[in-house]
Amino acid sequence: MITIKNLSKRFTTEEVETTALNNINFDIKQGEFVAIMGPSGCGKSTLLNTLGMLDSPSEGHYLFNSEDVAGYSESQLASIRKKNIGFIFQSFNLIDELNVEENVELALLYHNISKSERRQRVAEVLEKVGISHRAKHMPSQLSGGQQQRVAVARAVVGKQRLILADEPTGNLDSEHGREVMEMLQQLNKEGTTIIMVTHSPEHAEYADRVINLFDGEVVVQDLRAVS
Amino acid sequence: MLLANYFQTGWRNLLKNKLFSLINIVGLAIGLAACALILMFVKHETSYDNFWQNADKIHRSHVTFSIPGRDPMHATSAPGPLIHALKKDFPEVEYATRIGGWGPTINHNGQVFVEQIKLVDADFAKMFSVDVLAGDLELALSDNSSIVLNESLAKKYFGDSNPLGQVLSLDFNFFKKDFQVGAVIADTPRNSQLDLPALILIDESAWEEQNWMFHGWFSVNAQLYFQTQQASDLDSINRQFDDFANRNFPKMPIGGDDAKASDFIKLSAMNIQDLHLNAIGFGEMRPQGSKTTVITFSAIAMLILLIACINFMNLSTAHAANRAKEVSLRKVLGATRSNLITQFLGESVLMTLISVLLAFVMVELALPFYNETLNQELVVSYDPSTIATLLGLAISVGVLSGLYPAFILSGFRPATVLKANKSAETGASLRLRAALVIFQFAVSIGLFIATSVVYSQMQYAKQMDAGFNKDNMLVVNRVSREEASNKRELLLKEIAKNPQVTAITYSNETPGNTNENNTMMRTPEMAEEDALLMGQRAVGYGFFKAYEINLIAGRTYDKNRADVSPTDEQLRAGEKFPGSIVINESALRRFGFKDAQSALGKTLITGRGDPEENLSVDLTIIGVVDDVHFNSLHATIRPEVYPLSADFGNSISVRFTGSPEQLVKDVETLWRQEIPGVPFSYSFVEDNIAELYQSEQGEATMFAAFSALAILVASLGLFGLASFTADRRTKEIGVRKVMGAGVFDIVKMLMWQFSKPVMVASLIAWPVAFYFMSDWLEAFVYRIDTSLIIAMCGLAALFALCIAWVTVASNSIRVARANPIKALRYE
Repeated sequence: MITIKNLSKRFTTEEVETTALNNINFDIKQGEFVAIMGPSGCGKSTLLNTLGMLDSPSEGHYLFNSEDVAGYSESQLASIRKKNIGFIFQSFNLIDELNVEENVELALLYHNISKSERRQRVAEVLEKVGISHRAKHMPSQLSGGQQQRVAVARAVVGKQRLILADEPTGNLDSEHGREVMEMLQQLNKEGTTIIMVTHSPEHAEYADRVINLFDGEVVVQDLRAVS
Repeated sequence: MLLANYFQTGWRNLLKNKLFSLINIVGLAIGLAACALILMFVKHETSYDNFWQNADKIHRSHVTFSIPGRDPMHATSAPGPLIHALKKDFPEVEYATRIGGWGPTINHNGQVFVEQIKLVDADFAKMFSVDVLAGDLELALSDNSSIVLNESLAKKYFGDSNPLGQVLSLDFNFFKKDFQVGAVIADTPRNSQLDLPALILIDESAWEEQNWMFHGWFSVNAQLYFQTQQASDLDSINRQFDDFANRNFPKMPIGGDDAKASDFIKLSAMNIQDLHLNAIGFGEMRPQGSKTTVITFSAIAMLILLIACINFMNLSTAHAANRAKEVSLRKVLGATRSNLITQFLGESVLMTLISVLLAFVMVELALPFYNETLNQELVVSYDPSTIATLLGLAISVGVLSGLYPAFILSGFRPATVLKANKSAETGASLRLRAALVIFQFAVSIGLFIATSVVYSQMQYAKQMDAGFNKDNMLVVNRVSREEASNKRELLLKEIAKNPQVTAITYSNETPGNTNENNTMMRTPEMAEEDALLMGQRAVGYGFFKAYEINLIAGRTYDKNRADVSPTDEQLRAGEKFPGSIVINESALRRFGFKDAQSALGKTLITGRGDPEENLSVDLTIIGVVDDVHFNSLHATIRPEVYPLSADFGNSISVRFTGSPEQLVKDVETLWRQEIPGVPFSYSFVEDNIAELYQSEQGEATMFAAFSALAILVASLGLFGLASFTADRRTKEIGVRKVMGAGVFDIVKMLMWQFSKPVMVASLIAWPVAFYFMSDWLEAFVYRIDTSLIIAMCGLAALFALCIAWVTVASNSIRVARANPIKALRYE
């Protein structure tokens, strides 16, 4: 599904050039569950943003379903992104002014889907993540775990085949963290590819494989590399 | 120490948030400046004649003639004999004086001038506390050969030498007389309806031959002022006026035997301080003010200030998010809520004070244009009371607009704010802000509608076909003065020779001249008491042709035909032959003729001479002309007759081509040569007509300017608000972009967010604006269609939407184009 070849990302400011990712290579197959680990500032989030097409690489190739998207324009990327990729963030990033249902529906809003179908799919996915009884609540009325479930629902409601999760449990207690991880595992079993950035070795256990980053380079790429 | 800290943070905050501070300070300064300009105008307009010592006891009587079939005729002058009846019948009237005007020629040291001389009664000196600079006013007004000059005239005629005892020779056309200067008074202040350049005592015997001047009950030529013992006496006098009129007025020649004078004549009196804004009628010495304008301008001043205050409140609360951390830290470090409220109020007062300084600069810069447009001489007075008032205003505006933000800001809970690193703004404050934005837009839309309706009506008035050609028409005045009158034929003949001149005529009145001159007329079939009141304008040969007035049927006056009617002397001598008459379409209808053709050859009968002489003359209708607007569109066209005045006319009208300056020069040279005893005076019909609308035009311009300012201030606020909103929604926009929204989707969303308040505001503004503007239009007899207001409503909403879009667009595009990961990462 994903092939990364010699990929680099550099940020340039007036004074310094920082290399966030340096000559990275790896493959991710359809249906895999991959965890990306590494210390703060090693380039995990940059890698995830690049994989999520929110950011473009400075050099190298990014083959998504055999299509090299590295040189694509922003609108081309946006079009591939919205069909294929769902996002889950550490801080949930729900819109405060919208209720649960509307937050989830947001992911379908820009997809030319009829209102009735949107409603139906939102209801299904809320049922699936176990939050349908809170459909009319505002984000501020939910616990962190519940908010992240809504975010998961939003990430998959568009039937995305790839989910990118940036420390999805980082803001949650262990109990809620475990719930979310089980939910991701369930989605993976149903065929969704998941790439997750995490600090938690325990949660990395849920993944099939761990990619370890250090100073922008892949240092270990192995199953259960940290254990 | 704490204060210094407040000041420092306040000042730094001001500098740190330049956009926010700029919008607030400039917006408020514009608001304050507009407010100050309007208040200066309102203060001036409401101060008229309140400086007289007995202002509350001095009143003026008015008279309204209500003749069936005619608009009521309101006069600010009174019949000459009324003063005697008033003093006789009302013991509470202590003093009374007429103030009439005449423009005699004054021949002084070989130069001729025409001056407005006021004819007054002796009580004048007891009633009006005029500033006497030299001589004795009471003494001067006790004999009929003294004249009182104001300072300007005294300077003009006698320079620095002592004017007292000097002699001026006045030529009243009917008689000449020498007057000795008995007193010099100060020039009448600008805020007075009176204009008193020179005063002489009324000597009724000198005007005996012109008996209409002071003896006619149905001719109003002088204003009548009276002073009562108590201010409250005015009400009781007003209540008794009907009975008083019935006792004193002679029987009207209409309405049959049972008719009373009060059926047709309404007397009323008004306190002198109310005249400027409230009196209705012709005959004022100085231009009147308009109560509507004063009220409208005051309302606009309040609205502009309110809009500026709302900006302040909205921006401050929106801005609150950025200051939440500071507030929380201060609280953690021990600040109480009242400490914080004081701090924020102090900051807003600081900002208002800067605005006040800026506003002063704006006022001084704008004042010359403002005065020119409104034809005023307003000045900023920097006396302590004005400065105190303004400072008070600034502080109350600062406190008023700072109070709400201060309460919001000081209410933040440090734990929530510091932990989440975001504002704790409540739904209530968001809703209040939305409501205030709607209010601002409603006001802007309303003002836009009002301005466009006023402007449309002005354009309509300008472009409406008045029925005659007002362009390229020179009017030469003072032709009726004896010396000029003798040379009228010569003038006509000589001016006509000028190659620039295409037509020439003479008449008693010209367009733009609002004199009311009426006569009773009837057909032979009508009973004498059923005679109709017709407006009349005496015209010379060639009048209709020169003015290009359309002739519907028949012909106009012709020197070679017997159109001239008998003179009063001929009638007294028993000579009876018919004259000719031209009437307008309204008169045709009023007399009940089937059409213009059938009216030709019919006879109209009208009285002549003094009523007791019972003289009458038959006039044959020879022509019918279109209705013509000689006056402003406020008035309906009168049924009018145009009698021939073969050998008398107040003015000569000259239709010309080419340079007006050259023509004026040529005519003036001719006049000076032929009529050295009368100063040359001229005007252009176009200007005279424009003068009818001058004050309205000026007020309309200012109205438009103030409306534009209000809209500008509101837009400034919206711009600031949009930039805060866009920033506040950064995270949401980031999420939406990640979910697949494009730049256009985001811009559309933000635009729509600001379109909603505009639409709600339109729904509020439309009915209000429609109500007020259709009411305003009612005052014009000839006006634009009311349905046009509806079109203006649509236009205003569209305009407001455009403003909202333009204001919001730049911010929206900036935010929409930003990379979403930044927004999401730093949240």
